[in-house]
Amino acid sequence: MAATRRLQKELGDIRNSGLKSFRDIQVDETNILTWQGLIVPDNPPYNKGAFKIEINFPAEYPFKPPKINFKTKIYHPNIDEKGQVCLPIISAENWKPATKTDQVIQALVALVNEPEPEHPLRADLAEEYLKDKKKFTKNAEEYTKKHSEKRPAD
Amino acid sequence: MSIFINALKNILHRMLQLLSFGQKTITNSLNIYIKTSGGNTLSVDLDPTWDIKNVKQFVAPKLGLEPEEVKIIFAGKELGDRIRIAECDLGQQSILHAVKIKVKPKLREIKGSLVEEIEEQCTKPLCNTLKDVMFSSDDHTAIGKTESSSSNESDKLRVHFFVFCPTCKALRSGKIRVRCNFCKSGAFTVHSDPQNWNDVLEPKQITGLCENNPQLCANVLDNREPTFAEFYFKCSEHTSLGEKDEAIPLYLIRPNLREIPCLACTDISDPVFVFPCAEGHVTCLDCFRQYCSTKLMERQFWQHPEYGYTLACPAGCPDSFIKEIHHFRLLSEAQYAQYQRFATEEFVLRSGGVLCPQPGCGMGILPDEECTRITCINGCGYVFCRQCLQGYHIGQCQNPENEVGANSDGCIYTVDPARAAEARWDEASKRAIKVLTKPCPKCRTPTERDGGCMHMVCTRAGCEFHWCWVCQTAWTRECMGSHWFG
Repeated sequence: MAATRRLQKELGDIRNSGLKSFRDIQVDETNILTWQGLIVPDNPPYNKGAFKIEINFPAEYPFKPPKINFKTKIYHPNIDEKGQVCLPIISAENWKPATKTDQVIQALVALVNEPEPEHPLRADLAEEYLKDKKKFTKNAEEYTKKHSEKRPAD
Repeated sequence: MSIFINALKNILHRMLQLLSFGQKTITNSLNIYIKTSGGNTLSVDLDPTWDIKNVKQFVAPKLGLEPEEVKIIFAGKELGDRIRIAECDLGQQSILHAVKIKVKPKLREIKGSLVEEIEEQCTKPLCNTLKDVMFSSDDHTAIGKTESSSSNESDKLRVHFFVFCPTCKALRSGKIRVRCNFCKSGAFTVHSDPQNWNDVLEPKQITGLCENNPQLCANVLDNREPTFAEFYFKCSEHTSLGEKDEAIPLYLIRPNLREIPCLACTDISDPVFVFPCAEGHVTCLDCFRQYCSTKLMERQFWQHPEYGYTLACPAGCPDSFIKEIHHFRLLSEAQYAQYQRFATEEFVLRSGGVLCPQPGCGMGILPDEECTRITCINGCGYVFCRQCLQGYHIGQCQNPENEVGANSDGCIYTVDPARAAEARWDEASKRAIKVLTKPCPKCRTPTERDGGCMHMVCTRAGCEFHWCWVCQTAWTRECMGSHWFG
């Protein structure tokens, strides 16, 4: 009830703000609790593609945090093979009902652009990132070219 | 057909109008109890358009006094002669106190102007002198603005109180009342108005004069301290059922004078719930209910040593626990019953007690520390072992798996053991808990790991122990080094 009203407002605000790094937001009219959108990172090696994500809001939103899943495969120390991402702002301990979805998205985009190998979900990639950045960048670039979505034209 | 029904409706409506018009003089009158200092109570019907002078003229002969010898006290104030009854926030069956004045007639005659002045001071009833802004927050920045903007709307100037009414079993608007802290008599006048919630809720903040029997109260106190006012609340929405019909002030619910949006749904609504944190975070009442029910489902209320089973500000502010737990009466009846059950269970467990393991019982028991054979005395009568929570036994506790085999010895029927195993009530969920969970090493709450790293944080409110899924002990740097991710 509160979730629906708040999400309608947030969705309107985000669509009007014209974020370049998060776009093509698709929401099923019958279920505003699930959003899909395209993350468009600016930093290499991810600036060669775009990544589809899904945001799932619980019915208890905003008293429970949303969950984010990557639908596009990504070579990233903080995002695992299943597309799960470890984002502190939406963890149960840190979540605040006043946190807005656009802050969550900003935090997500920042994490994609700047991996945090100190808090990895994929220990192997974190190790590669810290020990052999060149190799990591090369692998990530190839992976991005192979798996990612097409970037929007503008 | 519909024309006929409409015509009928119209006739009915007119008849009702006529009826209500005929009754106007009766329905408009207020049935009020007048309490005298002698302890008598008179039941009188008053016209709300009367002023207090009319009331005195009406009441005094019944007390065998002159109107000038009577003063009328209500909600901590002596009411001035020019006040009209309608201004006083009186409901049906409210109580006014009539007290005999020890008149100094000479002074009255000579210094008429002085008396006039004194009267000016005590004219206004409490409900008209208190304002919302005084109670809305500690800083008074909004006072000037509110006063100028609403000076023509006298209704807005009145303070709005919200209460939980035990009779209506619901959130209602409330009325403030005053009585003597010592003899509990309502014939009491305050020396000053309360300025904020602290003055109202904490005892012995505002002094006054007990007009019921000043000598008695002074003697009780041995003249060591002044007589204090005690504030209490009544529901505005049902006819008073007497002096004991009180309501609990829900002082965190306030009129939204400053039009603050809800922190959860961002709508601006009125009234709102203001959390007791330094920031004064605001939610609408719907979102407050949802916050409570979400936390209740997850059993994330806190057992506060002073306040009881409660919640803090959803924004995570420090020192923001809700002190008056009656605010949780905003939950539905079923949810409030669950709240009480969880609160009791949590209290029992915190106090070192156990909960009876029989299905449908769950009675809380506080046994001696060494006692291992526990009888559910006030509940189902089950006798069980404190350690394994199975039926009481002598010697070591057994695993439930072994017990099944042992019990089947005396069974006459032959039942396929595999089928019997499947047909056990509750067994599936028990097994799921056993297979999927590990107990928190500190509080033993069964915990499921549904992904992520091996670093666990206990989800039970108040425990929040950091532990390692692999070692099943406290989380250490070694865990981080050798098996953080399995």
